[in-house]
Amino acid sequence: MANLELQDVKKVYGTGSSQYEALTQINFKANQGETILIVGPSGSGKTTFLTIAAGLQTPSAGTVKIDDKVLGTMSVKQQSQLRLHKIGFVLQAYNLVPYLTVQEQFTLVDKVKTANLTASKFNEMLAILGLTPLLDKYPNQLSGGQQQRVAIARALYGDPSFILADEPTASLDTERAIAVMQLFSQLAHLAHKAVIVVTHDTRLEDYADHVYELVDGVMHRLK
Amino acid sequence: MFLAIKEMKHEKLRYGLMIGMIFLVSYLVFILTGLSNGLSNLNRAAVDSWQAQSIVLNKDAQINLPQSVISNRDRQVLKNKGAQISLLSGLVQNQAGKKDSAQIVGIKTNQFIFKRLKVTSGTKELHSKQAIVASAFKTDGFKLGDTLKIANTQVKVKIVGFTNNATLNMVPVVYTTPKTVNLAKYDGQQTTTLVNGVAFASKKPTLGTLKDSKLYSAEQYINKMPGNRAQTLTFNFMIGFLMVIILIVIAIFLYILTMQKLPNFGVLKAQGLPTSYLVKNTLLQAALLAVSGVLIALGLVLITAAILPAIVPIKIQITMILLSGLAIIGMAMLGALIPVREIIKLDPYQIIGG
Repeated sequence: MANLELQDVKKVYGTGSSQYEALTQINFKANQGETILIVGPSGSGKTTFLTIAAGLQTPSAGTVKIDDKVLGTMSVKQQSQLRLHKIGFVLQAYNLVPYLTVQEQFTLVDKVKTANLTASKFNEMLAILGLTPLLDKYPNQLSGGQQQRVAIARALYGDPSFILADEPTASLDTERAIAVMQLFSQLAHLAHKAVIVVTHDTRLEDYADHVYELVDGVMHRLK
Repeated sequence: MFLAIKEMKHEKLRYGLMIGMIFLVSYLVFILTGLSNGLSNLNRAAVDSWQAQSIVLNKDAQINLPQSVISNRDRQVLKNKGAQISLLSGLVQNQAGKKDSAQIVGIKTNQFIFKRLKVTSGTKELHSKQAIVASAFKTDGFKLGDTLKIANTQVKVKIVGFTNNATLNMVPVVYTTPKTVNLAKYDGQQTTTLVNGVAFASKKPTLGTLKDSKLYSAEQYINKMPGNRAQTLTFNFMIGFLMVIILIVIAIFLYILTMQKLPNFGVLKAQGLPTSYLVKNTLLQAALLAVSGVLIALGLVLITAAILPAIVPIKIQITMILLSGLAIIGMAMLGALIPVREIIKLDPYQIIGG
């Protein structure tokens, strides 16, 4: 069973008097089929958590495992391959390549990775996210919300086992935000993905199987 | 490939300007290469047309044909070997009063220089007081049958033919017989024909023992032509400098463009897109820019060479131009390595932030 696990993870930035602890003794596990929401105010360590979980940062202490493989023992290239094949990333900004149309954002994924979504599943996802009429548009022809939906679709297009999303609904209205969370929830329950969403948007709590709160680097389970 | 081409199609102005820059510098390099070749050719065209590989000159003449006189003794040793050259630099004037500088070269019709001459119009024969002259004279208004008076002498020669590639030391050649040259030089006062040098078709001809003369390679002789080395070095320096400019221009442009794209590249790397894919795209983009600029310059330089007046000494040698083009592309790729370094170093976490 696919899982992502953080054991006793700690992250310290700076040295001496400027040193501060961004994450303190985090123990966390996300299993296939679960949607997990991590809420917390700005600066609470949410993005640090997400980047450590994806192997983009090394923890100061503790281990991160994906499918029981310790990330710390992998080479940079192996970690990159793991992200390409196992993780779908949705980030806050710079998500889309500005000179590619919406359709070409997906073609780019095809260029580096096979085994992406089938045509029918892809079309279904586009319809749910309301992207079908936007396939020929460039990012600068889209609103912030539309861009964010394209970024979500691109992350899902590679059919990853894990979806890590950093404030995915920040630019969306309530209706779209709920649609996105419902899609994540469907992916978790029907397609057996593990979905981890970090956000400060508490509207989304009802759509998550588990909710954690992260404040000043300390994580508590709320639900 | 995909990213590189899509970006260039989308950002036409930006990449068009960059191709324009490479085109301009390449065009300049090609024109300079052509001029360098052309001027060098004016120095050596006649020697090249003879396909001479070596030449015997007086060893005290500093490898300079006009300054060389083969001694009587060595002339006997070299008799019936190679092709004897008698030379007189001066002015020639036709019956209409038109004057031109000329290298009057006396050659024997039974020796290889004459045999290798290709006459473009007129007849290939050379008797006393006849001349086969460089085509440049035709451009200047001289015609077959014209009588040329060699300035400051009473000697007149009749043009019986024209030949291409006949310039020596930048001056068009008038081929005539050694006796005619002797007559012009000494006004009939000297019976022994003066020989300035003896050319050979092979690099190491069998010579007897020479006392006052020495064998030099054709390249040694050409390199020692007055002004030839300074001229070649000047052009090579300019071309080399332009190559460095190309390297810097490409490096700066690609560096700026890559720096602007780093946030996107950071996200793509975070999503697992291999660094090698981004590097390949950047290198391919540099190659496409350089090849496009070079090809446009190549086309335009061929057109330029075709429409420039004959007086401009430009000679486009495709192999030289292709080599220069390859060097420009090589420099562009070298320049692209600097932004590539930034992509390799890029830490996606720095873009995503914490």
